[in-house]
Amino acid sequence: MEKTGAEILLQTLEEEGVEIIFGYPGANTLPVNDGLLTNPIRHYLMRHEQAAAHAADGYARVTGKVGVCLSTSGPGATNLVTGIATAFMDSTPLIALTGQVPTSFLGSDAFQETDVIGITMPITKHSFLVRNEKDMRSTIKQAFELAKSGRPGPVLVDLPKDVLAAKCRDREERDIRPPMKQNNGIKKDHEQLEKIAMALNRAERPVIIIGGGVKLGNACIEMTELVEKGQIPFVSTMMGIGSVHTSNGYNLGFIGTHGFEAANRITHQSDFILAAGTRFSDRSTSDVDEFAPLATIAQIDIDPTSIGKNIKTDIPLIGEIREILTNLLPLVKKKSRTAWLNRIHTEKQNLEREIPFNGCGQPGRFIGMVQEAMPEATTAVTDVGLNQIWTVRSWKTRIPRGLVTSGGLGTMGFSLPAAIGAKTGTPDREVVAFAGDGGFYMNIQELATINYYKIPVKIVVFNNGHLGMLRQMQDLFYGSRFSNIELGNGVDMVAVARGFGISADRISVEKPEAGIEQMSKTDGPYLLEVMVDPEDYVFPIIPPGRSNMEMIYGKPE
Amino acid sequence: MNGEKHIISILVSNKPGVLSRVSGVFGRLGYNIKSLCVAETADPEISRITLVSRANFDFTEKTKKQLDKLVDVIEVTELMSSESIERELVLIGINMDEEQKPEITRAIDMFGCSIIFMKSNYCILEVVGDKDKTETVINYLKPLGIKEINRTGIIAL
Ligand SMILES: Cc1ncc(C[n+]2csc(CCOP(=O)(O)OP(=O)(O)O)c2C)c(N)n1
Repeated sequence: MEKTGAEILLQTLEEEGVEIIFGYPGANTLPVNDGLLTNPIRHYLMRHEQAAAHAADGYARVTGKVGVCLSTSGPGATNLVTGIATAFMDSTPLIALTGQVPTSFLGSDAFQETDVIGITMPITKHSFLVRNEKDMRSTIKQAFELAKSGRPGPVLVDLPKDVLAAKCRDREERDIRPPMKQNNGIKKDHEQLEKIAMALNRAERPVIIIGGGVKLGNACIEMTELVEKGQIPFVSTMMGIGSVHTSNGYNLGFIGTHGFEAANRITHQSDFILAAGTRFSDRSTSDVDEFAPLATIAQIDIDPTSIGKNIKTDIPLIGEIREILTNLLPLVKKKSRTAWLNRIHTEKQNLEREIPFNGCGQPGRFIGMVQEAMPEATTAVTDVGLNQIWTVRSWKTRIPRGLVTSGGLGTMGFSLPAAIGAKTGTPDREVVAFAGDGGFYMNIQELATINYYKIPVKIVVFNNGHLGMLRQMQDLFYGSRFSNIELGNGVDMVAVARGFGISADRISVEKPEAGIEQMSKTDGPYLLEVMVDPEDYVFPIIPPGRSNMEMIYGKPE
Repeated sequence: MNGEKHIISILVSNKPGVLSRVSGVFGRLGYNIKSLCVAETADPEISRITLVSRANFDFTEKTKKQLDKLVDVIEVTELMSSESIERELVLIGINMDEEQKPEITRAIDMFGCSIIFMKSNYCILEVVGDKDKTETVINYLKPLGIKEINRTGIIAL
């Protein structure tokens, strides 16, 4: 049988279990778009390529599958860049397919030619240029393997138009695997494992730090067992939120700049840290020299480069987190650490009393009310800014993969398209996007996509007329000299949403009941504009350059 | 940049674009490449990159881990001076007037270099050796008026 490169591409995607592609066509993708007419894969036409990448990212985060986006060459490909970088920083498995000018034009500055492989080299795990249709199948298979394996991440495949259009017989297809690696840096290291177990069993004040890698490595169950068996208090990074569900009170919340004070204080006092699937980014550690000064640190990660990247580790162990935890479990002893657990209990109680709504004020109270009004199976997708911190501090993760946020890159404009991806990936769940006005404007065109496909996502826009998080920083650290952060209140967002065919209402954050009720009982998409005081900030917060112990609760005098 | 000299030998797939991925790792980590040599190995699908950089102690670990992550990198090893043989080829172009001829001839004898090009008052010398030798020759000839130098960079096994 003879098939075109595009047909082989689509067939291979199907074999890899792809059901949905988020994309935007151009002249150089037309063979693929044509093939999609007769292929069961659904294509969502987004209104911007950046949104296509974020949607594929959101889809991957809630399903655990590989997300796929498709753009044309040149401007289409460069528009994907922010989305690819977002996925890279949070280790989302993503395949970015980019159309490219025909091979004979490569390197000639042809119309809509950009070296997208060169541009994305530092933000992809790997990239391929398919120079021959005979290599299409094996290249796509490799791309999927790479995106999923080890520490997941984006892989880009550049597809010249002539290769997509060329015909090829089955038996002409070839396998172009690269020469095998001598080793992948992973060796079974039982000695290190025993060292970790011994240090953990001996510790008087242990803490586990759960990073995003625990979820990515499907090790949530094993981690829960470890926490419960060893009765070990745990904290997480922002990406690790919601990995472990336990009612035993050992969960202290997430650490770092915008983290929970109890989590930061207890981590600081610990004598042993078991860190799993985290690179100790500066958002988590703040001043790294002051981070957990008394603790012996054991670090487990699938990615050798994450180990020792930002902090000196005493007992490193490279490997699959799930496998390591499974082997670690029988070695861990239950130990009574009454003094430690009592101290934790007291700190937690005191702090919860002192900071109402987790330091998120009215917006925090509001988010809690939204969650109670929505079914349990609801995924929250955040944007970036105050709205992100309010949401991750206030939303209770009750379902796996139920909180989607751009942690590593902090990409404004992420929430709307990522919510589209989340809803199409898990249609049985409700999806609520929480955004600030600034981030909402950044991908506002996706309201058109939501309308066209009737994607029933709920959208909450906190309208404070400002780039709120930066306003807080200027207020606190620049002597209230506000500069370049006012968006104003001249836009009628309800009218805008209705213009896009989406039902909407405006409420104040103090009196949200009716709005929340209307949103939760609307079947289709719904937008709620929530008017917020620009001085509703998040506290406590750690000033830049300070340690996790130096949280402040208000404007410095 | 100060710090110790490191010689890294990297086996890679012999394909377009691989060198830029490898050199990108050094650039992003902020290491300067002092010399670089790339050539096919006995297996035409595999090339060897030999690279010299000066850096502090965690250089090898950091770069090796990042390089190992690249799909096209097959093996990375640091070559220790005590356990490997290194060579570099240097071409030195020299202006020589009558007075200097004896000195240059002496250097040629002493260091075992050879003259591979000669024109009335200009010649090109070829020096092969390890870093110590090539440095010594260059330093000796410098006062005699080196006009140009080109070096292959170190290769090692
Ligand atoms: C694409 C992008 N540009 C700039 C920033 C820097 N930034 C971080 S938070 C923030 C303010 C966000 O304002 P808004 O979306 O209104 O949300 P709020 O903080 O008010 O909740 C900005 C500009 C960013 N994170 N992403």
